[in-house]
Amino acid sequence: MQIIAPPKVYPVIIIGSGASGGMAAWNLTQQGIDVLLLDAGEKFDRSKYWTHVTPWEARERRARGEGPPAFYLDTKEQPYFTAPNRPFDLTRVWGHGGKTNVWGRVSLRLSDLDFKGPERDGWEIPWPIAYRDIAPYYDKVEQLIGVCGGDDDSDSLPGSTFLQPPPAPRCGEQLLKKGATSIGIPMVAGRRANMTRSTRGFPACHYCGACGSGCDTASFFCSADHLLPFALETGRLEIRSNAVAARILVDAAGLANGVQYFDRKTGAERQVRGKVIVLGASTVDSTRILLNSKSRQHPNGIGNSSDVVGRYLCEQIRFHVRGYLPVLAGTATRNDRGISGEHIYMPRFNHRAGHTRPYLRGFGAQFWNTGASVGGAHGGSEQIPGFGVGLKREIKRRHPAWFEIHPYGEVLPYAHNRITVGANGVDRYGVPYVKIDYRIGENERTMAEHMADTVEEIVKAAGGELVGYQRAALDHNGSAIHEHGTCRMGADPKRSALNSFNQMHDVKNLFVVDGSAFPTATEKNPTLTILALSWRATDYLAASIKRGDL
Amino acid sequence: MTGINRRQAVRAMAATASALWAGRLTAFARDQADHAHMVAASEASAFVPKVLSAHQFETVGVLADLILPATETPGAKALQVDRYIDVVLRTAPDADRRRFISGLTWLDTRSRALFGRSFVASAPEQQTEFLTRLSDGRVSAPEAPAGIAFFEAIKGMTIAGYYTTEVGLRQELGDDGRMVLSRFEGCTHPEHQ
Repeated sequence: MQIIAPPKVYPVIIIGSGASGGMAAWNLTQQGIDVLLLDAGEKFDRSKYWTHVTPWEARERRARGEGPPAFYLDTKEQPYFTAPNRPFDLTRVWGHGGKTNVWGRVSLRLSDLDFKGPERDGWEIPWPIAYRDIAPYYDKVEQLIGVCGGDDDSDSLPGSTFLQPPPAPRCGEQLLKKGATSIGIPMVAGRRANMTRSTRGFPACHYCGACGSGCDTASFFCSADHLLPFALETGRLEIRSNAVAARILVDAAGLANGVQYFDRKTGAERQVRGKVIVLGASTVDSTRILLNSKSRQHPNGIGNSSDVVGRYLCEQIRFHVRGYLPVLAGTATRNDRGISGEHIYMPRFNHRAGHTRPYLRGFGAQFWNTGASVGGAHGGSEQIPGFGVGLKREIKRRHPAWFEIHPYGEVLPYAHNRITVGANGVDRYGVPYVKIDYRIGENERTMAEHMADTVEEIVKAAGGELVGYQRAALDHNGSAIHEHGTCRMGADPKRSALNSFNQMHDVKNLFVVDGSAFPTATEKNPTLTILALSWRATDYLAASIKRGDL
Repeated sequence: MTGINRRQAVRAMAATASALWAGRLTAFARDQADHAHMVAASEASAFVPKVLSAHQFETVGVLADLILPATETPGAKALQVDRYIDVVLRTAPDADRRRFISGLTWLDTRSRALFGRSFVASAPEQQTEFLTRLSDGRVSAPEAPAGIAFFEAIKGMTIAGYYTTEVGLRQELGDDGRMVLSRFEGCTHPEHQ
């Protein structure tokens, strides 16, 4: 058999263009390195977003056969499997920028409370880095992407001098904040990647509150707007769209030397050659690619001699609570759109004296949908008793008074929480599907009780009333969309897949830069840390290339 | 908060309603708000219900108006919430649609037992009395839980449909609709600071 390899060998091939892959492409091209970027989808057209479309305008448009961009990957196109009776919600965006097109924008620095957590409590392996290693990168990321926030600084949420002014709290948020702080529960300005000042040529946020539809002015960070165009400007980036990566190819020595992908439009198989591969396809898809990259040299999947790849999937538990503040009922309706989602945040405090309980790690809380909703009556309206004029008046009275609390708690890494391939057949390209087997344990259930107590205390202190409350009724696993842990970094190659620079212990020219590299999930939203880690890893990679080590 | 998160939270919180299917149907109605209003409007004057019979459609209209009647702003029927409900039911999960239809049948059966007439043919005071019992959970027939759940479902769907109209959101709830602000004022009440 004659094999004709494509002639070009790229210095670096990156898989995925979201926060991790986009950052890698941006940083490497800024440093003069040529990059081929594979993305499973296309660029979403900002001019076609339905950012400012009212519900009734949306109807007219739909009647004309128009629709907004389809950001989310349809599971009919690319199914995933779960273990019996263990549902897991997996949200995927295949397209330039990935999930940063529609992300929640909560941008929290991890602290040494997070990095040193495993050292302190002995559960699983420690992070191979400390806050001082990543702090300079947090500084740089915040300046680059534009994060707003307050001047708070604590052991669980390190402060920053690079934050843009935060939007003022809404009335309900102000009262929740006042109530919580009166009983010793910390509450700070939300830290979100919405630009409240014009930054790098992008206009400041105009407070339409429609971020979930994608931003038509690119006023919140999206990799496709804030990283990829600048990388393309260097002339060193080539983007190949609709390239669904399947396997990482290896040479006789077991080093990575290319990527096999399938054209999403035609189904045709393609191979590209590269000297270094950077994987940033998001935790589940990156893990699927690694496990499907089986070879004589890597029979257990590439870089998986330790058998940790696919294990230790960790996410966050969360639940949703709603209620209203009687003191705000009947006040004039205000425009509460803001930066969409909360303007305040409750950082972790359960490690402090007087708050500790017998479980490991911690939780924080978000407060989205507080104030007058703009897409209809707040969902709590259905729970108001009665009907008729009285109901209609009460729906109107409570309209400005609703609040919601959404606590997020860390799920420990467990070896049995696993992503595997091979047991459920193959997809349209002949590539084995992914299966997720995930459940929470006693530690999480104990923490959920503390989360519920905390919510109840805050509501009481703020003078609120809970509506339709079911204590600690956890949302589906996976619903936080913060998957981590299945290709974790660590000092010990027997217990981790990556070193402290996201480089595979087994395969020195393969880097994994997305959330799968996190040894722990923490209670915090991961994107800011993913950006910082990817920047740091690709600084190391660029230096290695320049030294001739790779 | 992303669009993703919000949708999931709506679903998760809807599941806390006392009857699961009623919460599910309400969440579905919210999710389908754009589509359902659009279809109802596009079929305009020639609107013919496709799921509901003429009598059931009339019953839904009366119920919707009892739930959200005209005040300074129009009632649910004037905003075509009855049509909206028919359109939502067209694509709702089969089992939930069947439960909803059975609920309408149950309503007439109970109404005949209580007042000797179908629900729409009963006097307005009788209709109000019946809904008050349903709303308070004070019905004792064996099918009562299904009837109470039906009331929750139509109430949720009526609220979903009504307040996603321009009249519902702007006139009734007072949303100013402004989507370009140079600064966000936030809470300015001295008593809240």
